[in-house]
Amino acid sequence: MNAKKMKEALREALPSVDVVIAYGPGFDPLHAEPCFIKDAGRVDDLILNPLCEHNLAGYLTSQKGRTAVVVKGCDSRTVVQLLQEGLVEREKVHLIGVPCRGVVSAKKVMAAIGHEKVLSAVFEADSLVVTTGSGEKRLPLMEVCPDKCRSCQYPTPLIYDVLVDEPLAADKPPESVYEDVEVLEAASLEERKAYWEKETGRCIRCYACRNACPLCVCQDSCIAETRDPHWMSQKSTVSEKMMFHLIHALHLAGRCTECGECERACPMGIPLAKLKRKINKDLKDLFGYVPGTSPEDRPPLSTFRVDEERIEEHKLP
Amino acid sequence: MKETGYIAKSAWKAFVEGLVARYRVYAPCRDGETVAFRRIQGKEEPCLDRPAAGAPKAALLPQSETLFGFVLKKDPVDPRKTEVELKAEIEEPPTVILCGRPCDARGFTIIDPVFLDADPYYRKRREGTTIITLACPTAYEGCFCTSVGGGPADKAASDVLVTELDQGYYVEPLTDKGREALKDAPLEEGAPHREEAEERQRKAFTRVKKAFPGGKDLKVSPERFESDRFWQEASAKCLSCGACTYLCPTCYCFNITDEQGVDTGERIRSWDACMFSHFTLEASGHNPRAQKWQRLKQRVGHKFVYYPEKYGEAACSGCGRCIRLCPVSVEISGIVAALAAPEEPHTKEAGADREEERATR
Amino acid sequence: MQPDNPYLPDLATVIEVIEETPNIRSYRLALNDPERMRQFSFEPGQVGQLSVFGVGESTFVINSPPTRMEYLQFSVMKAGEVTAAIHELAVGDQVGLRAPLGNFFPYERMKGKKVLFVGGGIGLAPLRTLILFMLDHRTDYKDITIIYGARTYGDLCYKDDLKEWGERADVNLILTVDAGSPGAPIREGFVPTVLAEVAPPPEETIAITCGPPIMIKYVLQNLTKLGFGDEAIITTLEGRMKCGIGLCGRCNIGGAYICKDGPVFSLAQLNALRFET
Repeated sequence: MNAKKMKEALREALPSVDVVIAYGPGFDPLHAEPCFIKDAGRVDDLILNPLCEHNLAGYLTSQKGRTAVVVKGCDSRTVVQLLQEGLVEREKVHLIGVPCRGVVSAKKVMAAIGHEKVLSAVFEADSLVVTTGSGEKRLPLMEVCPDKCRSCQYPTPLIYDVLVDEPLAADKPPESVYEDVEVLEAASLEERKAYWEKETGRCIRCYACRNACPLCVCQDSCIAETRDPHWMSQKSTVSEKMMFHLIHALHLAGRCTECGECERACPMGIPLAKLKRKINKDLKDLFGYVPGTSPEDRPPLSTFRVDEERIEEHKLP
Repeated sequence: MKETGYIAKSAWKAFVEGLVARYRVYAPCRDGETVAFRRIQGKEEPCLDRPAAGAPKAALLPQSETLFGFVLKKDPVDPRKTEVELKAEIEEPPTVILCGRPCDARGFTIIDPVFLDADPYYRKRREGTTIITLACPTAYEGCFCTSVGGGPADKAASDVLVTELDQGYYVEPLTDKGREALKDAPLEEGAPHREEAEERQRKAFTRVKKAFPGGKDLKVSPERFESDRFWQEASAKCLSCGACTYLCPTCYCFNITDEQGVDTGERIRSWDACMFSHFTLEASGHNPRAQKWQRLKQRVGHKFVYYPEKYGEAACSGCGRCIRLCPVSVEISGIVAALAAPEEPHTKEAGADREEERATR
Repeated sequence: MQPDNPYLPDLATVIEVIEETPNIRSYRLALNDPERMRQFSFEPGQVGQLSVFGVGESTFVINSPPTRMEYLQFSVMKAGEVTAAIHELAVGDQVGLRAPLGNFFPYERMKGKKVLFVGGGIGLAPLRTLILFMLDHRTDYKDITIIYGARTYGDLCYKDDLKEWGERADVNLILTVDAGSPGAPIREGFVPTVLAEVAPPPEETIAITCGPPIMIKYVLQNLTKLGFGDEAIITTLEGRMKCGIGLCGRCNIGGAYICKDGPVFSLAQLNALRFET
């Protein structure tokens, strides 16, 4: 990832935008964090490396003026989807595209090093070398990347104003995208129910997933919290939690760009992305539609076609 | 009982089972890659290799509970008349919070002064709960317990302190409740292991770095605290979710809502978070904290300014969960360090921003 | 409320409903337990949490004075879910009440002084409690002046009381509306403006104000301009409240809880709620 080129592009863009959203160093050597800057003097503090796992495109809908934002391939799909739905105006965003072969999941690194305080984290060839009070550990990047990187089909941003590196071609087999969903699909209905009840049972209704989701438009007017209409109570039971997650996933049907922020944000390790990806997989089968790939597309659940190509109409007897 | 004890690793399972037979046991339990506090099921053993994702406060302040139920009875003769009957029951099974960390136990010292006298639900549960704490062998991501008067082997609010050694656990009973919980435990002599335990505790202490001049000496700069621009910058990446609040051992804000079926219903108390945008929303539509920077200021202000003014210590146990589990790494210890910085040119600049903002409003 | 459980309301019955304005109704309640009703005591300015079971609770000032205990009155403006449900209540309906909560008007330090009330719209509700209380102890206080206004004549609350106060020789009542009707015998002008016009002198006077936030803002400014000191200006705050006992955090302002340290505050106290070294 070419940090130097990114910084040049941002310095050039600054005079014509109100804010730059990029990555800066986080609270410790293992973490990057979203960084909002308005003056050129701070561009040098920015970073660009595989620690930059956040999807910054989620901030676009709350910006008032013109914004420059750094986007990886997966993040660019979010921008495309936001454009499709008219949630963001193309002229108001300046996209710095970053071709990417995968990022690092801080959570996976933490699990590998026993959750100890990180003293240093350095990239060496295909590994991340992490030092804690107990010593050094060399972690191959393919072992600590988020699951989505293992089946990534869009390593190069689909939309950008500046590209900081040579474009990369997808090198993972397309069938791998929904492999984990297929495992769950093969299970019985009872097994699937038990699985989701167990996983969502850990939910603490913090709504980190909802607030991190770049495409969630309800946000604070969420059905999980409102009393008008009053569909859900504040009881922390599995049924209420399932209800929230199912509604949220359905709201994203055919819109979710599989950025995985929901799962990354979840403090309780619930495999939330899997639920949304299952619905996306079904929609792909039904409508041949992949969200966030072309700005001229229209999400299938917001459009109506008299002759749906892949749906067998019920014929009246 | 001897002053201190030792439980061999081979006897740990029996110890846990013994507690489960007598108490409702809350412990960090592993589910896949996540460790969360919940009731131990069956023969489970607590997971001790890392602090749990959430705090054990749910044992005393459940995420949701029924304050009371009500029954509506229509008069059979005059249907316009309805009688109401209320029923309140406070559940208080004897509970053990097993192998939380010292920062988790410390959380209760923050909640106690607020809730113990006023809230019979909390009080009854607190009285029936024994806290057996596991000392931390090291510092974890985001930890800063020593900056708020705590430490990896801190004893505040604990009834027993357990320190893990190579072959077993050094056990220090601290209160009568603690001794009661240990009465059937497979305990050996603790004295031979004392030095090793204290050495480990000392080593862990050195690994926790001070994040800001701490404890009761913390002085927050008024200019910085009142600078709108300071909070706007600090909150820019915040998602306004409730993760930090719900995972925090010291946060205790709640909501009260009614649920009703046909003729029965209940009034429920449930966790709430000042970080949510609608927390202060009034029926008129007016919202005193509509902006997320105002809410972040409230959260940090409550923990490090308003609560200390009343109770003499920060409403924070330095566990670091809000930092390591925040999706965008909002770092409360860094914010407090910036607020506590001595006067410098930057502070004057922060003050000037506030003046400018007021002038242009 | 129940003494051993502050979350458990007392059961009460609606004994009268009064239409004050198109969107404000007053409800007169009696606690179902006659012994508790007999023992119920409170100070002017304290509030209660009124429950409609199944819908929720909302905070209202106890609108009748402790000197008149045949009922407890609460005035409710229809604004959200709970107040809409309250507006559906009829005589005989059951409600819950957790009261008294909060602090009260510091009437002790007003004794022997002149009292100036400045109210707008439903803001007259807490003021009414204190006004009636003072009228029931009339000789304890010197001159009483009431400046009260609303958007239109129809929005003025407690018209029966207003008539009575207007006829009393020992009360100076100045009514105003934002927008009058031609020929109507009532002054026209916003409450803060009328306050500035009337210009009551600050000497030996305590001012108490309540109304919409924007009105309070300008009234506080104008009172200060007229020379009233921060300790001599009292107001009662509103905010989203839930537990009413200083625990749930919703009404937290700085180091204070509106439900416990308020809702009555002097301007001096309000200023101090901002962070200070």
